[in-house]
Amino acid sequence: MSTTVIDSKKAQQPAAQYSPLKEFWRNYKKKKVALIASVFIFLLIVIAFIGPYIAPYDPYEPNYDAILEGPSAAHFAGTDEYGRDIFSRLLVGTKISLTVSFSAVFLGLIAGTILGLISGYFGGRVDKVIMRCCDVFFSFPDLLLAIAIVAILGPGINNVIIAVMIFSVPSFARLVRGATLSAKENVYVEAAKSMGASHTRIIFKHIFPETISELIIFVTMRVGTAILAASGLSFLGLGASPETPEWGVMLSSGRDYLGTASHVVLMPGIAIFLTVLAFNLIGDGLRDVLDPKIKNS
Amino acid sequence: MHHMKKILFLFACALLLVACSSNNEGSKGTDGSTNAGADKGASSNSSSSDELVIAVNENFISMDPHNTGDTNSNAVQAAMLEGLLGFDNDGKITKVLAEDYSVSEDALEYTFKLRQGVKFHDGEAFNAEAVKVNIERITNDEKLRLYSRGFNLIKSVEILNEYEIKVTLTEPYGPMITRFGVAKMISPKHIKENLEEIPKVPVGTGPYKFVEWVQGDHLTMERFDEYWDGNDRVAKVTFKPVPENGSRVAMLKTGEAHAIYPVPAQNMPELESNSDVKVTTVPSTIARYVSLNTFKEPLNNEKVRQALNYAVNKEAFIKVVNSGLGTQLDSIIPSKTVYYKQQTSFAYDVEKAKALLAEAGYPDGFEIEIWGNTNSDTMKGMQFIQQQLAPIGVKVDIKSMEEGTLSDEIYGAQTPEEAKLMMWYVSWSSYASDVTNATKPLFHSTSFPPNSANTAYYNNPMADKLMDEANSTSDQAKQAELYAQLQEEVYADAPWIFLGVDEIVYGVRSNVSGVEVGPGGAISVQNAKID
Repeated sequence: MSTTVIDSKKAQQPAAQYSPLKEFWRNYKKKKVALIASVFIFLLIVIAFIGPYIAPYDPYEPNYDAILEGPSAAHFAGTDEYGRDIFSRLLVGTKISLTVSFSAVFLGLIAGTILGLISGYFGGRVDKVIMRCCDVFFSFPDLLLAIAIVAILGPGINNVIIAVMIFSVPSFARLVRGATLSAKENVYVEAAKSMGASHTRIIFKHIFPETISELIIFVTMRVGTAILAASGLSFLGLGASPETPEWGVMLSSGRDYLGTASHVVLMPGIAIFLTVLAFNLIGDGLRDVLDPKIKNS
Repeated sequence: MHHMKKILFLFACALLLVACSSNNEGSKGTDGSTNAGADKGASSNSSSSDELVIAVNENFISMDPHNTGDTNSNAVQAAMLEGLLGFDNDGKITKVLAEDYSVSEDALEYTFKLRQGVKFHDGEAFNAEAVKVNIERITNDEKLRLYSRGFNLIKSVEILNEYEIKVTLTEPYGPMITRFGVAKMISPKHIKENLEEIPKVPVGTGPYKFVEWVQGDHLTMERFDEYWDGNDRVAKVTFKPVPENGSRVAMLKTGEAHAIYPVPAQNMPELESNSDVKVTTVPSTIARYVSLNTFKEPLNNEKVRQALNYAVNKEAFIKVVNSGLGTQLDSIIPSKTVYYKQQTSFAYDVEKAKALLAEAGYPDGFEIEIWGNTNSDTMKGMQFIQQQLAPIGVKVDIKSMEEGTLSDEIYGAQTPEEAKLMMWYVSWSSYASDVTNATKPLFHSTSFPPNSANTAYYNNPMADKLMDEANSTSDQAKQAELYAQLQEEVYADAPWIFLGVDEIVYGVRSNVSGVEVGPGGAISVQNAKID
C-alpha cells in the first residue's frame, strides 16, 4: 500500500513545474542550524540599517560619571572606558562590520570571477600567468598580506576593504577557473561555439551560470573570514579610527580592562564570534544543499 | 622609505609568528633581530632566586650613555654605568664616582676628587685619565652633538693628580653640575678599542656587568663582584621589554617577572588585592601635554590656543585617562621640578572657550590632526582630547604612528615651514634638579626640530632671554626669579594644552626588596634582593 503511494509521488514529481529555487528551499529548510543562522544574519542586516535609530544612547557621547560600568538595566552591555554605552556602539558598529566585509568580498568576487573565467576558458599562456600570480598571493597568509597592503596604503577603513578584497581575489579566481574547466567540456558549449557565438557570450551565458552554486557557498564562507580580517586589522590599529564603534576597535581598546571590566571586550567579542559562526554555518548548510557531490550521497 | 621599513618589520614579525605557531623551534631566540616582545620569554625563564626579571613597557634604544634620550635605556644603563655624580630619588645631586667636588666662585672651574680603588668591568682602573677620555669623547664626537649640551662649553680638562681633575668652562653654565651627573663613565680601553661597539655593549663601573642584549627580547647583566660598594645584591638581572599592558601585568602575577614598570593604572585594583605583589606610586616629573604648533594657522592665534586649554576638563583627564592618578599640570614644568611656580590654570569652561574661538574668528571651530604613538595610553588620551574639543566645534582627527615613524615625521622637518605637525600628544620628563632640560629644549627658539624638542615652534624673544640668563648664572635666587618669570610668560601664551603630571606606578613581587623607580622613571636595582 505504502509503496504504491511513494511510487505515484515519484512519478508525479517531474510533471509538477520544476523550480530549482523551490527545490533548494525544500532542502535548505531541513538544515535547522543553518536556518537559525540565516535568521540571525537577516536580523543583523536589519540592525545594520536601523541600528543608529534604535540605539538608546549616542555611541560617541562620553559620560565620565559612568565609566566601565557593568551590564545593567540602563546599559544592557555596560559602558566602556569613556562611559559610552557599549550596546549602542555594537548596534551602530554592525553596519560598519557588515559593510566592510560585504563590499570587500563582493569586490573580490567580481575581480576573481572574471580572472577565473578568462583563465579557465582561454587556457594556455593566459591561464599560466594568472594562476602563477594567484600562487604568489596564496604563498602569504591572508592576514599578513592584508597587513602588508594596509601598511602600504595607510590605515583606514577603505584601505581595509581593499586589503581584504585583494587577498580574496585569488581564491575566487581559482575556484571559478576549476568550475570553468569542467563546464567548457559540455556539449552545449561546443554547440554554441560551432554556431559562432562570441567568447563573451559563451563565457557569461553558458559557462558562468555553472559556477554560481559554488560561488554562493564560497561567498558566505568568505564573508565570515572578511569580518575576522577586518576586525583583526582594526584591532591592530590599522583599520577604523579609534573612536569608531567598529567591533575590532572596541575589542582592542577594551583589552586593557580584561582583568577589571571584562565586559568591555566580551561584548564585541561575542558579536564577532556569533556573526562569523553564523556565516560559516550558513555556508555549511548551503554546501550540503547545493554541492552535487554531497547532495547525492 | 617609511613604508619599506614598516613592511620589512611586519614581515619579520610575521616570520616569527609563523615560527612560533609551528611549535617546533628550539633555537629561535638566538638571532635576535625580531620583535617578539611579550610571549616569548615564558619558556626559557628559570626564575631561580638569584635571577631578577624586570619587565618594562618599551624597547631599549641604545646602550651608549653619551647618546641616550629615552628613559628605559637610561634605566638599564644605570645598573651598569656610573657618573661622577648621580641623583637620588628626589632628584638631588649625589656623589658617586667623585668623592668630593668644588665649584669656583666664577662658576667656571669644577674640581673633582675621585673615588679610589674603583675598577671598570674590563679590569681597567678608574682614574683622572679615564674621566678625561670620557669628557673628550663627549666634546669631540660630532655624532654626540645634541647630547653634549654643557660639555660644548668646556675649555680644558686638566689632570691634577691620579685622583683629581679640573674642568674649566669658557662661560658659566647653571645646570653644568647636573650634566656631570648625567654623563656616565665608560672604560677608556673600550672607548679607544671598540668605539663602534659602545651603543651595544656598555662597559662601566656599575654594580652589574653586561652579559647580553637580544634586541626586542631581553637584556641580561650579572653582578660585578669587584664593585667598590660591596656586592650584597642579586646575582643576575634581566630586563625585558613587554609593550603589551596585559602581558606585563600577567607576568608579575604569575611571578615570571619580579618587577614591572609601569603598572597600567586600570590594573591597580586587581594587583593591590593580590598579596604576592606590592604596588608603589611615586609622584613623577613627567609632564603630559599636547604641543600646539604656534607657527601655523589656526594655532598661531593665542586665543585659539587658550580656547583649547579652556575646553579640556583636566580633572576628567586624570580620572578617565590616568585612572585617577596624578595631578594637573599647572605650570610649564611639573611641581616636583626645582623653581616650579604654580600658575592660575585654565579652568574648564566650555562657554569661555567658545567665546575665545569666536573672537579669534573661528565661531564654527575647525578641523585639526593630533599625532601620537600607538601606545594604548596615548590612544586613550588622544581620544579624550577629541571628545573634549568636539563641543567647541573643533574636529580632531587622530593619527597614531609607530614610534620610529612618528619621530621621523616630526624631526624630519628641517624648518618650521616644512612641519606638518599640528598637535602632538606627548610627555616630557627630566630630573627634578634639571630645570634647564625641562624648559630649554621645549620653549627656546633655537630648539625647533630637528635640533631639539620645541615642537610647538614656540618663539618668544622674551622667554629666550629669560632662559639664557638663567643658564648663565649660578646664583640660585636669581635663577628662581628668572624661572618664575619664564613660567608666567610661557604659560599665558599656551603653547601646549596643559594636561597633567603622571604618577609613577610600579609593581614588585613581595619577596623582592630593593627595586625602586625614581620620579623620572629610572629603575634602580643596585640593592635588589630576592628572599
